Amino acid sequence: MTEIPKIVYDRLRAAGPERAHPDADLLTAFAEQMLSAVERDGVIEHLARCGDCREIITLALPDTDIATAPIADEAEAGPATSSRAPAPRKLSFSWPSLRWAALAAGVVVVASVLLMRPGKLNQSTPSPAGLQVATTAQPVSSPQIASSQVASSTVVSPPIASPPIKQSALAAKTDETRPQPELQLSRKLKPVTPALQAQSGMLLAENKKESAQADKLTSAPMGAAGALAFDGSARPAATETIEGSNAVSTVEPAPSAEGNLMTRNEAPAIEKAKPAPQGVEATAPQKTTTAGTFAPAQSQARNMASAGKPAPAISANPAPAQHATWAITAGVLQRSLDGGQSWQSALRRDHPLLCYANHGADIWTGGQAGTLFHSADGGLTWAQVQPAIEGQQLSADITHIDLSGDVSGPPQVVISASNNQIWSSTDGGKTWEKQ
Amino acid sequence: MPKRAQSGHRAGAAAAPSVSLYERSGAAAYGVSVARFADILDEILHKYFGPASNSASASTEQKADFCAGLRLEELALARACAEGNERAWEDFISRYRRKLHSMALHITRDAAHAAELADSLFADLYGVNARDGLRRSKLVFYTGRGSLEGWLRTVMAQEFINRYRKQKRTVSLEEQTEQGVQFAAAVPEPACIFDRTSDRTSGRTSDQLLEAATDEALSELSAEDRFTLASYYLDGRTLAEIARTLGLHESSVSRRLDRLATGLRKRILAGLRTQGMSHAQAMEALATDVRDIGLNLRSRLTQDSGAKAFPGGSISAGDAGNTSHD
Repeated sequence: MTEIPKIVYDRLRAAGPERAHPDADLLTAFAEQMLSAVERDGVIEHLARCGDCREIITLALPDTDIATAPIADEAEAGPATSSRAPAPRKLSFSWPSLRWAALAAGVVVVASVLLMRPGKLNQSTPSPAGLQVATTAQPVSSPQIASSQVASSTVVSPPIASPPIKQSALAAKTDETRPQPELQLSRKLKPVTPALQAQSGMLLAENKKESAQADKLTSAPMGAAGALAFDGSARPAATETIEGSNAVSTVEPAPSAEGNLMTRNEAPAIEKAKPAPQGVEATAPQKTTTAGTFAPAQSQARNMASAGKPAPAISANPAPAQHATWAITAGVLQRSLDGGQSWQSALRRDHPLLCYANHGADIWTGGQAGTLFHSADGGLTWAQVQPAIEGQQLSADITHIDLSGDVSGPPQVVISASNNQIWSSTDGGKTWEKQ
Repeated sequence: MPKRAQSGHRAGAAAAPSVSLYERSGAAAYGVSVARFADILDEILHKYFGPASNSASASTEQKADFCAGLRLEELALARACAEGNERAWEDFISRYRRKLHSMALHITRDAAHAAELADSLFADLYGVNARDGLRRSKLVFYTGRGSLEGWLRTVMAQEFINRYRKQKRTVSLEEQTEQGVQFAAAVPEPACIFDRTSDRTSGRTSDQLLEAATDEALSELSAEDRFTLASYYLDGRTLAEIARTLGLHESSVSRRLDRLATGLRKRILAGLRTQGMSHAQAMEALATDVRDIGLNLRSRLTQDSGAKAFPGGSISAGDAGNTSHD
């Protein structure tokens, strides 16, 4: 941090408070961002001069070890804070970072598929209908990427009912036509993620610039690359199409062509994808791996390959109490109650959080060194959960969380750790099983 | 508890909305009547907007919005506790007793002191200390502007600061004796690296010019900027703590501090030059400011403010029945 001249220390300290201390009510309301602009100005003027009240404010900050009341982000602070710096959310969604994140995420998706499915590269057979299948299926299967490890920044899980996902995932293997779901889902995607649409469009444009590359992609018989090149509406979904159709051979050039675009963030994703076993069958959606191929139909899950760079992922839930949109930025779980317009820090830990998964108001988030928190009330209160079995505790980084199960009962929690362990619990985290 | 004079500032407009607010608050469950609840709201309005007769202070709509924005349920609970309602106390204890102890531990970082602090606050909340023969609960000062839990934390932090200051004054002489402070040389005046009178400009020393330029540069900053500077450089707060206090992101605070530090230096230099110093002189004055920060910190371990002690609530200044740090 830039040092300041010592005279500034002296003069800052010399400024004593002019008035009586604000009472506990005002200080509390200030800390909770509940004051009007005029009141806030008065309190902060006092705080700028009064070391005691600054200390009280700091001492009275909630203990994050127990529970963290959401702290209003500056984006939602209103006119009183209009002079503040730009909100982190805006920075996170700034165009350059999105574009690069999208490219890098795409590369990682393709690379992870290659790593997971090395034996099936040549199983696909070119067919005129292949491209059709791919473009048809990809938007439908896009929600499945929610559980993919590379949902680092740009992946969106629209509030799409689960049955079409399953159907389409299976249908991608054999069916050649499902135009209607595609159209419907595309429409649903648009209002939710205009930025992503645009970003994918840029991706498309860049792909086209690489004419040789584009030729390879467009000639892809089973459509993963074709979707990447032509559709552009949901780039990661193309990977899911690959999953469903087992067609990966023609995507291989993509990483080599764009490998130089990979950011530091996504590199660990590949590392983590390597030890993944043989992937997961498309027909077994509850299953998850360290690479997290398929999301359970009724959960929205996001993983961060790394907490190093702000890269919010978004989910949306239909119920009013579950309107929260979640993201992880720089190791902090963020929550938005207005569809991403403003964000609040929902949970901040000493160890950066890496991933989360929510099922309505039931949200789990995990991070480094076995950090795992659970909130059953949409993030208002948090409880730390320590997965353990027979005295053995999970201490590795939690890289992925998946929720599945019936709406009525507690969801099955499946967490993947960086040491390739998979822990699961069917009773809300009370007891665990390790695989 | 003593009731405030209610009839004089009873806001007529508050009566109608107060019924819906009353229902929202759940005060009925704690035996608080509609009329009593309306009185409480009037009391709070009086605190923040002045007497109801002062129509210039705020419109009826503003007051209604203000009341609707209060933490009514927690307000009802706190006030019912203050009035001795048993059910309210049961609820309060079940909700906050454990939290009070964990808060105290968070503040004191010491189990023994935490227990002492929590018990002391709990006694204050219950109103063990009677005044004029009446039990007086500190909860009567809660007005629902923020969460009750946050208010409890703040009150506890205030209590901790007050105790710390008292304790420090009590033992400081012994500690100083143990540390041999009485044998220590007096803090020397800053060494005169440059002739402090040689830079006379407009009859002032370079130190005075420097102070004036610094004060001016600081006064041009917003209160929030000065708060950020003081928190980071004076108090040694972390970026995370400042960010949480202001509701910002750490990176925003970091950028702001960098900007402020750079801007301050420029402004001070510019101020010195407008006072007639050459650029070289201004740079020298800024760089050779020999008031060692360590010495200053030692001489000002506390930033005694001279302001009043923290009131438990300031419905009126005289009502504050809590401790004073003087």
